[in-house]
Amino acid sequence: MPPQLLIARNFRSNALKNTAVYLLILFIGILITYAVITSWSGFVKQNETTAHHQAETRHDWLDNPDKHPHRMAHYGNFAFRPKAPLSIFDSGMESFFGNTIFLEAHKQNSVNFSEAGFSTGMLRFGEISVAMVLQILLPLLLFFIGFTSIAAERENGTLKIILTQGISWKQLITGKIIGLAQIAMGVFIPVMLVTFVLWFFLQDGHITSDETVRLLLVFLSYGIYLLLFCVIAVLVSAASRTSKSALVSLIGLWLMLTIVLPRASQALGSYLYPAPVKVTFLANIEKDVLKEGDSHNPDDIHYKALKDSLLTTYGVDSTSQLPFNYSGFVMAEGEKISARIYNSHFDKLLRVYDDQNSFLKATAFLDPFVAIKNLSMSLAGTDYRTYTDFQKQAEAYRYAMAQKMNELQIKYISNKKPGPNEKPVVIDQKHWEEVPEFEYVQPMVNTVFEHETTSFFALLFWIGLLYFMIEILSKKLKVN
Amino acid sequence: MLEARSLTKKYGSHLALDNLNLIIKPGEIFALLGQNGAGKTTTINLFLGFIEPTSGSALINGIAVEEHPQEIKKHLAYIPETVTLYPNLTGLENLQYFSSLAGFNYSKQQLSDLLAHAGLQSQSFDQKLAGYSKGMRQKVGIAIAVAKKAKVLLLDEPTSGLDPKASNEFSEIIRSLAAEGTAILMATHDIFRAREVATSIGIMRQGNLVSTISAQDLSANELEQLYLQTV
Repeated sequence: MPPQLLIARNFRSNALKNTAVYLLILFIGILITYAVITSWSGFVKQNETTAHHQAETRHDWLDNPDKHPHRMAHYGNFAFRPKAPLSIFDSGMESFFGNTIFLEAHKQNSVNFSEAGFSTGMLRFGEISVAMVLQILLPLLLFFIGFTSIAAERENGTLKIILTQGISWKQLITGKIIGLAQIAMGVFIPVMLVTFVLWFFLQDGHITSDETVRLLLVFLSYGIYLLLFCVIAVLVSAASRTSKSALVSLIGLWLMLTIVLPRASQALGSYLYPAPVKVTFLANIEKDVLKEGDSHNPDDIHYKALKDSLLTTYGVDSTSQLPFNYSGFVMAEGEKISARIYNSHFDKLLRVYDDQNSFLKATAFLDPFVAIKNLSMSLAGTDYRTYTDFQKQAEAYRYAMAQKMNELQIKYISNKKPGPNEKPVVIDQKHWEEVPEFEYVQPMVNTVFEHETTSFFALLFWIGLLYFMIEILSKKLKVN
Repeated sequence: MLEARSLTKKYGSHLALDNLNLIIKPGEIFALLGQNGAGKTTTINLFLGFIEPTSGSALINGIAVEEHPQEIKKHLAYIPETVTLYPNLTGLENLQYFSSLAGFNYSKQQLSDLLAHAGLQSQSFDQKLAGYSKGMRQKVGIAIAVAKKAKVLLLDEPTSGLDPKASNEFSEIIRSLAAEGTAILMATHDIFRAREVATSIGIMRQGNLVSTISAQDLSANELEQLYLQTV
């Protein structure tokens, strides 16, 4: 057996003889079990609720009687956001996003019904997900086990005997890393197996290649992430004179990597690239819409010019003589303008968020936790970008729905207003079918590669950096 | 064979070892005597390759330690002042682990023979090291050194803290290893043990080997007097 594996086996068996290690693994196991159960039940509940309400709203939409299309445009529709299968592994920002938008003409409503909005105690202290345990608590366990890996050998004199047996520093460090990684995998592999089983069954056998690639990338990236922490633990232990100083250094490092740096980077990113508050954002849109033209004001310059142009083109004196419904035409124009302005403001807002996130993502080169957190949420489809993608798809659907109703009004509604004793102008309910049902389509996995390039490269950078550190320390380390 | 050629070690301006010239042939036991800080452990660490010399060279069986730090490990074994090893492993498990690291895969019987040869009682073989006395752990350390079949043995204060009986047993084993052709360098404070076990004795003071004598040329009292006058 190669000496590295002998060292790994010895380290593993010694570590696992410590009752405290078993208690910690048990504690982490309980947390993971809790996280799996809650995320699984949350997934089932939300997707069942979503499916139920989606079917109900579709039924209600189609069940509307003959109506004026503009009334239907205001009757509106709902866009529901189902949970992504891998949200059972990493809930990411999921709980803080809403999952339903009411879609109506002229208005971009915000997404409602976030889990956080309805939650009681737990969420206020931060949600427990499998990913959170693997990202934060498992590295702490690895540091707790790994701090003695070489420092204790130095303290009790076995280091000199080991090195005298012909073992090089590199073999010793590699062996300890393998031993610690075996313990990490002892927790990680069962967790991923449980995730796989749940992931498989929650999709009712409809497994797509896209989802499979996402799952495999989650496996791979977390495997690398945990290995990085094994390497860090062993290198810090090797560079420390005593186990105590190794433990203090590692706990400090853990606090820095998992708590201080990510939060400080987030705060600094928000400070450097300030985003408008919601009220300002909405007020700015309204201001710009009014600048372009107010479709309800008969003296509005834009709409007056539009009306004059139509009257000239068709050679008529009033809008009631036009061969189509003028109100529908004006509303279609208004919808076009307001949607364009909203999208422009929304894209500008997203660019601010992108700048903030880019700043945070760049710190992944200082902190592997930032890299895995962003990558994991993106792969699980629980990141902010997936959420905004839902908002964009819902807005595109809303716009298409409103314009469809405007189109029906232009085409089928007469310009002549009905008299007081006449029936209201309506169109046949069969037209409601012309508006398709909203179905959210999650972005393909290749978008993860596009948006998380920094995180991927940061993980690769960390692999290279720690490999380099092993090489350097193997030459520089001293016995005493 | 161990050889030091003008071996010198400085820590900043402090001269820890000054121009040591020494040859220890197979079958010889050389005891280095001296006060704390005299340079005994520095000499051992230079031969082990744990520190680099400022000038000069240390050679093990003719191989320069500094140039071939891994190669020389095949030829030497080392027993520290306190052999702690792994308290939650048994004597047999400790021996098996360390001899495997050196590339020797012994059977359980062979491992038991090695422990018995080092003077450990058979009923202790399967007991965890946590329950061993210092003398018993030192014997496991000897077994680890012997298992390597090294022709050079470096001992750093090996009898420190051992009771007289354990010290005697230890001396017996060291002598038998020398008789088998092992060159042994032993750093110690124990003047009487040094005279009893060594073939040659060197007295060090402030990094210098100030006196080298044959162990048989002086009585224990004469050696003590010389030591006290020298240091």
